[in-house]
Amino acid sequence: MLEKENKLAEQIKKTFHSAEVKVMREKRISVQLRSNLIPPFLSYAKELLDFKHLAHMSCVDWLEDNEFELVFILWNYDEQIQIISKTRIPRDKAEFVSLKKFWIQAETYEREIHEMYGVDFEGNNRLGEFILEDWEGMPPMRRDFDTRKYSRETYFQRPGREDAKDVRETITKHSGEEVPDFAKNYTIRQ
Amino acid sequence: MREKETTLYLGPQHPGITGNMMVKLKVAGDTIVKAETHIGYLHRAFEKLMEQRTWTQSFPIVCRICVPEPDPNEENLARAIEEIEGREVPERAKYIRVIVLELARLASYQLWMGGQSGSMGLYTMPQWTVGDRDYILDLFEELTGGRVYHMYIWAGGVRRDLPEGFADKVLKVMDYLESRLPDYDRLLFENALFHKRAKGVGVIPKEKAIEWGVVGAPLRGCGIKHDVRIDEPYEVYDKLDFVVPTHEGGDVWSRAMVRRQEIEQSISIIRQAIEKMPGGDYYNKIPNPLTWRVPKGEAYVKTESARGEFGYYVVSDGSEKPRRVHVRGPAYVHGISLLEEVLKGANIADVSFIMNSLGTCPPEMER
Amino acid sequence: MTPNINEKDKLRIREIVQNFARKHSLWVLAYGTGCGAIEIPPTMTSRYDAERFGITGSATPRQADVLLITGYLSTKTLKRVIRTYEQMQAPKYVIGFGSCTINGGMYWDSYNTINALDRYIPVDVYINGCMPRPEAVIEGFIKLQNLIAEGKANGAEKYMENLEWYRENQKKIIHNWQMPDFNW
Repeated sequence: MLEKENKLAEQIKKTFHSAEVKVMREKRISVQLRSNLIPPFLSYAKELLDFKHLAHMSCVDWLEDNEFELVFILWNYDEQIQIISKTRIPRDKAEFVSLKKFWIQAETYEREIHEMYGVDFEGNNRLGEFILEDWEGMPPMRRDFDTRKYSRETYFQRPGREDAKDVRETITKHSGEEVPDFAKNYTIRQ
Repeated sequence: MREKETTLYLGPQHPGITGNMMVKLKVAGDTIVKAETHIGYLHRAFEKLMEQRTWTQSFPIVCRICVPEPDPNEENLARAIEEIEGREVPERAKYIRVIVLELARLASYQLWMGGQSGSMGLYTMPQWTVGDRDYILDLFEELTGGRVYHMYIWAGGVRRDLPEGFADKVLKVMDYLESRLPDYDRLLFENALFHKRAKGVGVIPKEKAIEWGVVGAPLRGCGIKHDVRIDEPYEVYDKLDFVVPTHEGGDVWSRAMVRRQEIEQSISIIRQAIEKMPGGDYYNKIPNPLTWRVPKGEAYVKTESARGEFGYYVVSDGSEKPRRVHVRGPAYVHGISLLEEVLKGANIADVSFIMNSLGTCPPEMER
Repeated sequence: MTPNINEKDKLRIREIVQNFARKHSLWVLAYGTGCGAIEIPPTMTSRYDAERFGITGSATPRQADVLLITGYLSTKTLKRVIRTYEQMQAPKYVIGFGSCTINGGMYWDSYNTINALDRYIPVDVYINGCMPRPEAVIEGFIKLQNLIAEGKANGAEKYMENLEWYRENQKKIIHNWQMPDFNW
């Protein structure tokens, strides 16, 4: 049943010996590589294997391993297989090479990852302000940025109504009934 | 004698722009030499908010990403969670999901027709189509409780069953919309002014379309036949009978023709789904939503919305909150890098026209 | 004997006629600042016809009367909204649309959206909901019309009198202040 995907996995492993290739399900293959092998792998997939559509490019923050994981997702329209290729780069020295000469839309993904995570893409001269304006502080999508604290300090919060803090009290006061059993156990989180 | 070059800012407050973005144009006379897009006016930091909400609390957030058509987003996230967890969805729920998705697609096409003709100066069309779209929103209100944001599809199925008599109401609205199509044709699609204005404008070259990342109706308007519903069928699209139209040319007119033919296909899909719907369960109940943990894994799922291919990359690390949800909308490529390529050599009056035809939607570009 | 109308009553009659004219011709600026802007086309077109109340669209700020803030505001948009608001000519009114203008709504803990609108620009009427139905929008406009008839819709004067307070709040979140001192 998964013959197409297994054949493709064998073909990739013949050229890239150190890649970890896994067939996730029908039409999905995941490839894990070292970070210096990603540009040759993407060029090989695009030109030789006909994976011409760059569907997505993303970044995940693994704070506990001290690494960023860059994810590149490609699609082949004829074979109808999706490759999810991943690599890990160190968090304190996050830099990578720009792929905008392969696909022009890669420039947009790289601008966003640079602004949200702080990863530097060499060769992309349009890095800078993209979505946020006059942002001073650490890149906001990193796991150690606390957005609730920032919002509480910067923006004025309107105080709530005095008689509506706990809905159970308000309802019992206005209706004169007891709190039912199923509603007694929930605690209110701040 | 060369004309002098000036810079124009088609800024965030402009009645001709689809949404809140800025296009900085460098013009020589009436022709655009270089275009630069500036976005960021609608950024709400959805992906950061989703890392602090539980899995069930993410659904009301996710439907606000795409404002004219919120249902493909909910369905995408639900399907990603079901794929990571291995949860089965009952058959009846899949048929109901298909009906909701196609109704949302019809509503989005009505709004598109209004926008496309409004940017050309034909103001009768928005009055008709936005008024007809309201009948579809009435159906949504009876089914889900809200006109615009539904929060109806969630992981495991749908939230409640169809009310009594709902199927007949849907069929009546479908008959009404089908009877309006000849009027739309006579006013917009066979209009000689529309032909003159739209042919040869905003051309995407066919050999570069896939490499530039074009998806959806603009890709089918170049003559390339690809659609997620036939490439990788999801829900019950492999059991329904429909045709995916294409058109040669790659300009605004062929994209409009593709969308016009898809309206008829959507009406036919809804009728087939109502006829073939089985009985049974509509929900595979999830455990207590406050303590529900999705096992470790990742998934990438796609849906075809009215504007193109919506992709969700979801990573779960075994806790009760998502680790990373990254949304890729079709307008992310169409509205930033593709727009800057296509606008070269166009007139100033055609900027809004081309933007409407490519389907740029700033809320989904910036989330 | 001819009736004797003194000066105070003449002024009051002039005000009544002026307010009657103003409230029946409200031009709304075409600026959809947030996701609430999707319910504005149904309100203005043929089903929930708002034009029978005199409400119609306007293309530029200099010709508009009402600024409809439909939904949340990010800090980038707030800078443009302040400049647009100051370019409008008095008498002008602001309607806060949706629960995001009241207390932040769903995005209360986001690092990019403001939580209370009337610390930055003066608001006359709030319409709550997420999002409000077209009938609720029209009811909000009728409430604004009643306020105008009584002479209580004076957000613009409040802004001019307390300009330093508003500026202090605005400069706290907009760091790169590159705007003229005032625009009217």
